[in-house]
Parts: sequence; C-alpha cells; structure tokens
Amino acid sequence: MTRLVRSITEMEGRFEEKWVLVSDDEPEAWASDRPLAIVGHETPRTTGPTRVSGAARYTTDVSLPGMLHVAALRSPLAHGRVTGLNREAALAVPGVRAVLDSTDTLSFRSRSGPLYAEPEHAGALLAVVAADTLVAARAGVKALALTIDPLPFVIDVDEAFRDQRIDGEIAEESRGDVDAALAGADVRVELTVETPTQLQTALEPHGAVGWWTEGELTCWVSTQGIFDARSELAKRFSVAPERVRVVADFIGGGFGAKQGAGVEALLAVELSRRTGRPVRFINDRHGEQLDAGSRPATRQTVRLGATGQGDLVAIDSEVLTSFGMTGWRAVNTPAMTLYRCANARGVEANLKLHLRQGNAFRAPMVLEGVTAVEQAMDELAITLGIDPLDLRRRNFVDVDQPSGLPYTSNQLLACYDRVAELSGWVGRDALLEPSEDGLLRGMGCATQIWWGGGGPPSHATIRIGGDGIATVVTGIQDIGTGTLTAAQMVAAEELGLPLDRVRVTGGDTRPNVYGPVAGGSQTSPSVLPAVRGAAAEVKRTLLQLAGDVFEAAPADLDLVNGRFRSSDGALDEPYTEVTGKLGNATVDGSGMRGANPDGMRANTFGCQVAQVAVDPGTGEVRVEHVWAVHDIGRVINPLGARSQVEGGILQGMAFALSEEVAFDPTTGVPTNAWLDDYKIPSIADVPAMTIAFVDVPDTALNNVGAKGLGEPPIIPTPAAIANAFRHATGRRALALPLTRARVVETLA
Amino acid sequence: MRLTLLVNDERHELEIAHTARLADVLRDELGLVGTKIGCGEGACGACAVLVDGRAVNSCLLLAAAAEGHSVTTIEGISRDGLTPLQQAFIAEDALQCGYCTAGQVVAATALLAVNPSPTVEDVRAGMVGNLCRCGAYPGIERAILRLGQVAPA
Repeated sequence: MTRLVRSITEMEGRFEEKWVLVSDDEPEAWASDRPLAIVGHETPRTTGPTRVSGAARYTTDVSLPGMLHVAALRSPLAHGRVTGLNREAALAVPGVRAVLDSTDTLSFRSRSGPLYAEPEHAGALLAVVAADTLVAARAGVKALALTIDPLPFVIDVDEAFRDQRIDGEIAEESRGDVDAALAGADVRVELTVETPTQLQTALEPHGAVGWWTEGELTCWVSTQGIFDARSELAKRFSVAPERVRVVADFIGGGFGAKQGAGVEALLAVELSRRTGRPVRFINDRHGEQLDAGSRPATRQTVRLGATGQGDLVAIDSEVLTSFGMTGWRAVNTPAMTLYRCANARGVEANLKLHLRQGNAFRAPMVLEGVTAVEQAMDELAITLGIDPLDLRRRNFVDVDQPSGLPYTSNQLLACYDRVAELSGWVGRDALLEPSEDGLLRGMGCATQIWWGGGGPPSHATIRIGGDGIATVVTGIQDIGTGTLTAAQMVAAEELGLPLDRVRVTGGDTRPNVYGPVAGGSQTSPSVLPAVRGAAAEVKRTLLQLAGDVFEAAPADLDLVNGRFRSSDGALDEPYTEVTGKLGNATVDGSGMRGANPDGMRANTFGCQVAQVAVDPGTGEVRVEHVWAVHDIGRVINPLGARSQVEGGILQGMAFALSEEVAFDPTTGVPTNAWLDDYKIPSIADVPAMTIAFVDVPDTALNNVGAKGLGEPPIIPTPAAIANAFRHATGRRALALPLTRARVVETLA
Repeated sequence: MRLTLLVNDERHELEIAHTARLADVLRDELGLVGTKIGCGEGACGACAVLVDGRAVNSCLLLAAAAEGHSVTTIEGISRDGLTPLQQAFIAEDALQCGYCTAGQVVAATALLAVNPSPTVEDVRAGMVGNLCRCGAYPGIERAILRLGQVAPA
C-alpha cells in the first residue's frame, strides 16, 4: 500500500515539510545484532574496472557529431563596466558560429547574468563564443578585444564592515541570557580566528553538453544533482520535465560545487538552441578556479563562559562571512548545537564583497563554525587546566538544543573513548619533550556534528529477468563516494543473491527513478532504504514463484546466497531454477524511502585527534597522524567508508595548512587561481591515518540503519590540527592556513 | 602539418595544427578519451601517458614532438585486460571519482617499470606529480606497494 503523507525533509540543516510518497510494505530495520552476508563487509566498488581502465565517460568526454565548443570571456577586474566587445570580429573568425554577451536576450530566465556588462567579481562571465573547434572559439574570444573600465571594488573585510556592506539582515539566534551568564561565569575565554577562502577544485571542471532537438532537450552535465538539473532546465527553458533528459554517467568530483544544471549547461543549451548543433561548454582550469565557487572566508569571535569545573554556561559567537554579494548563513550551527549550554547566541552577517559568490563546499559553514568553536573549547580547557577531551565529555548533550528534540542516535561519547584509546591521548604530553630532530610536536582534538540523516523522497526499482541478473535502477549520481556500490550491496543482501548477480545504474533521469542531490551526506541514508524496499518486493515475488516451481509453501522458503532453501533443509536449489523459467518476463519491485521519525533529529557525530610536527625554523607544519572515529550509524561498506574519511581528512588538512585564495589588494583579483600555485595535497603530504567507526546502526532513522559520511570527516580536521599546533608550540595562530610565513610570525 | 604518431602500437597518419597538444590529439583526433585534462598546465598529471615508457604530461607536449616515439595511453595499458596494478587499484579502493585515475595508473606503471619494488618514499616521490582531489592517495600507495611485493626480484 502506497500513501502520500506530509513529512519533514532536511538538506544540510534546512528543514522543509512536503508531501512524500511512502510505502506500508517497507522492510523493518535490520536488527543491530543480525549477521549480514554482504553489508558491512569490505567490497570493491562496482565501477572500479571501468574507472581504472579509462573506459569511464565523463561529461568532458562526450563528443557528438557536429558538436560546437565554447570558450568564455571573463572579467579581468573585480568590478568594472564593459565598454567594448567586437562581436563582428569574433563572428568573422573562421569556425565561429555564435557569440553571446549581456546584450543578447536569452531564451531562459535568470535573475542576473549569466553574462555581465558590469561584472562584480574577477572571472565573471562577460561573453561566450561557440565554434567548430575549441581553438577557433578561443580565437573568437580574443577577437572580441574586450575593453573595460574599472569601477571601485571592496574585498577587504574591515573596509566592508566599516562601510556596513552587509547582505540583508544580520542573523541572530539565541537562547537564555548570554550576557548575564558570561558576566557571572567563573572562567571566560575569547578567541577571534579567521578561516580562508578554499576552492573545491574538482579535477573535472564544471561543464555540460547541451543538445536541443525538436523541443527535446538532452544535457550531459557534470553535476551532483541530475534531477535538480532537470528541474532547472525544464523551468528555465519552459519545457516539460519529461522532455528533458540529464545524464551524468561519471562525475569527476564535486565537493558541493556542482549543484543543479549550472551556468555551463544553461549556456550550452542556449547556444544549441540557436545553432541547431550540440554544444559543449567545459570550464578551463583558470575559469574553474575563478568562477566555480568557493568556501568563503570567515572571521569569527567566540566567547565561552564556564564554571570552574568546566560546565559551559555561555556560548557567544559572532561571524562575518566574505560571501560575495549574497549568501546563506549557518556558521553558528555548531555554536548552537555542539555542547550543552543554556545560554547561547549566534550572530552572523554576510559581507557584500566583489568576490565570486561562495557556494557549497563539503560541510559548508559547519566546518568553518567548528573550526572556531573547537579552538575556543581548546583554549577553555587550557585555561581551566582540564583535559580537552574531558571538557568535551563533560559538556556532551543528547538533544538538539534549538528544537529540544532527541537524536535518532548519538554515539559521540563512544567516539571520544575510542579515539582517545587509539591515539594514546592521555600520554600526549610526552610529545612535548624535546626531540632530536628539533621539531615541536603536539596533539589536539576536535568534535564534529553534521546532519546526514537523509530522508524522502528517494526511489529505486529492481528488475530481474530470465538471465538471473537483477538490475537496480536508481537516481544516484556517484560523484566518487561509492554510493552505487553501497546500493549494489544492499540489493544483493536483501535479495539473497551474490554481488555479481546484481547490477546497479544511476546518473540518468530517463528512467525517472528519483534520487536526491549527492550532497549533505544524504545519499546513503536516503537511497539505500529505497533500494532495500525494492529488493524486498522482488524477493517476495521470487519466493512465491519458487513455491510454484518446487511445490512448496513460500513462507517455508528463503533465498540465500543465490539458492532457494527450505527451513528443514530438504530443498536447496539454485535460484536460476526459477528465474530461468521467466523467459522474456521479468519480476519487478519498487521501493521508496520512508518518512523520517517524528519528533527526532538525525545527526552524525565524531571526534578526531591530530598530531603535528612544527619546524620552528622554517615554519613548516607537518601533520604526522590523524585518528578519526565517527558515528555514522551502520557502516555499509568499510572499504569505501575508509576512503571517504581519508579524503575528508586530506581536504580538511589542506584547509588548515595550505589552501587559501590570495588576492591582489590593488585589483581585487585572485593571484593563485590555477593548480600550480593553489596548493591542494599531494601524495607526499599524506599523514598516517587511523580510522574507526562506532558501528551502531541507527534503527530509528531508516531500514538500513545508515547515516551519511560525505561531510563528517572534513569537519573536525582543521580544528584538531590547530589545537595540535597550540599544544606543540604554546601559541595559537589566529588565522588559517598555517602557512610557513604565518607560523614563523606566530612563533616570533 | 602532417604527422605520424605511434599510439598503443598502432600507426596513425594525421593532419593537425602544428600547435596541437598531444593530449588534444589523443582525445579529439583518436578518440582516446581515457586520458583526461585536469588543469592543462602540467600541475595535476591527469593527462599522463607513456612516451617510450616514461610518464609524460600530454597537455605540455606538442603532438609533433611525439613523432618517432611510442605513445601508450590508458587504453593501451588496458588492452589485454586489467593489469595486476589496475586490479590492485580496485582492491585497495585507490580511486574515488576516478577522473585522475588513468593518470595515476600511467604514472605508477612507469614507476614500477624502473623500480619494481619501490619503498614508500619511492612511491611518494614517483607519484607526487599526480594530484587526486578526492584524496585516494593512501589507497594508491597501498596498491603500488602491493605490486612491489609480488613483483619478481
């Protein structure tokens, strides 16, 4: 029985009530102690052979007959007014088929842009040229011979704040009486820290191939959300969603930056509509680093008040975010939720600056907030003379304080115990002994909180035919997280078939099986329960058919590892004895994610410890070891989960040590928007990593017991490193990243 | 200009611009799109191919300069099925999004050809030119070391 119900859905902390389709036939959650044959066991990713052999096709690889290529003209200034573009000269370049700039009336609606006459950040799109070859398109851009007048710009935080260049209202949330509690606290600490602008830097740049044919629209997009892209294209071009097909077979990373269709798809489709040809628009690396978004820089002041025993009595957080001209606000989420405290206040303002607007980057805003709050907690522990982990244990909270709702599961205390045990935390002061190599060593910790509970809507279908292969159709776009493999595992587990009998597909809207955007750590907890529901339906039918074939009662049969077995063991036959009789018929099942439990909040938790070695002479900071323990409910695939944590740690480490967009203060233009001078980690930077999970299924949340893992491991990494630096050196750097210059300055 | 290129043991007669990069000729003229372009400036290694057995960033090499040399792409490496190195990449989960993977496999193939039993330091020095934004490095390191252990002395 399928019903429509009103249900609360959540994406990265934004809650919304909507109608969702749910099924009464959804399987019960697997019991925590139930042994599973496939789920929970290390499984190589299903797409591995395709990816390692170079056979995987990404959007950048799509090539169609007659396809045009696009080159972009971008603003060389942070703020300016275009005074001249020689369109005729560009159109005269051999091979050039179309030019678009801000003077063209586009067939899609857009609030601003996407082609600007008065660009407000360096790298903003001014014009695009489509040509038979990329070489010709670039020649067309050059022929445009841009002239542009500079206009005044502001990229400096202090200047912007002084001029009150604030986007919309200043957000304030509070509970209790923070000022009184701070005034009455036994101990107070105040810390102001800055976090850098970090670029997502997916190795496959943003890009799309658009093909407009007879009112049908096919679009290959390097996107984290094929269904969002479909909705966006349908709405913008006034086409029914059923006439729009979005394909993303393989996506070369996203990390939050690849939402919806993106400007590349919109312009590729527009150009295709005008030229009648398929059009490919792929950002070059410089364009990607200038104009694909960022994690915006912040300046945060955190004040904590506590009793002499270490009980928090006040948390006060003020945040300025350098978002560009507009953005959203969530940096104070950790301040309001991470620890038990009756009096808490978060004030948050976005500054209007001539910067590319920030967008989502793995744990957007929450990473930044944790980076400040957790450094302040470290200072409080030092001031109180309390072990930093004990301070955190002491202030543990088991309800979501803003809503007052309990969590579906919360194993944070177990995370603390396990990470302390693994890292040898209690003996960490031994690192402070002088070492032969002259390096200063220390260890620090930090906690993470993230949502990652997923929810409806999310769907899956499974079809098994005469060949005995079960095909799982999902709306997953696997950006590298391994969610397709997790879906294959869950389907095989529920069906009772070996893994190699189960194929899983995603990355295409044409089957119209909806999956959510690959963001917010929501894919596993959203899609996998739907996959399991579909598998359960197929299995019910197969057992009935087996009853027919073997003249047995279906209720007496089970399907285990590809064999039908009766409870008395008398029957033990390969499942192909049944599926082999299907001929051209198929057995189908569909499943959907059920509603989230009423009156509860779903969050992930975890704690990481970092050990660093600081060279006081050169200022070099090396992360020697990171220990990570997270509560993500049931771990579906320990192999893929480990990879997710390793990758998150490395991105967080780089945020703490090396990644930072540098701007020329005289022009407002980024000076390192390339890959050779924007320093992402290499293999030589990798620390030792010890990774564990408190693998307790969240049976209240969904039928597989899994929470998400994309975001959690990046979140506590920078604060743990900064706290380790503090432990090692006795100093706290007031800004990240801990570049050599900044470290030398801090230690001086 | 006319050009003869030996790619994956096949000879190709091509008419190309003299400024064409090897990466573009491989991808656009020969359809060998397993070779990826991540940065176009030699910083990421996604476009690595073997030229006479050495790993080279094909975005920095003029196609014309490859004439007279033997070029092997990821398709050539994979022609007779997955190599033990590629199988080790899968077993160690040495990839996430996979966009850099072809370049990683090419660079590791070149490394193992000259150093069949590399140390951790050898692997890090040999692979430092191949960036992976997903951070699959620990798996890549394990995969290459695993090969080193089973390689004949």
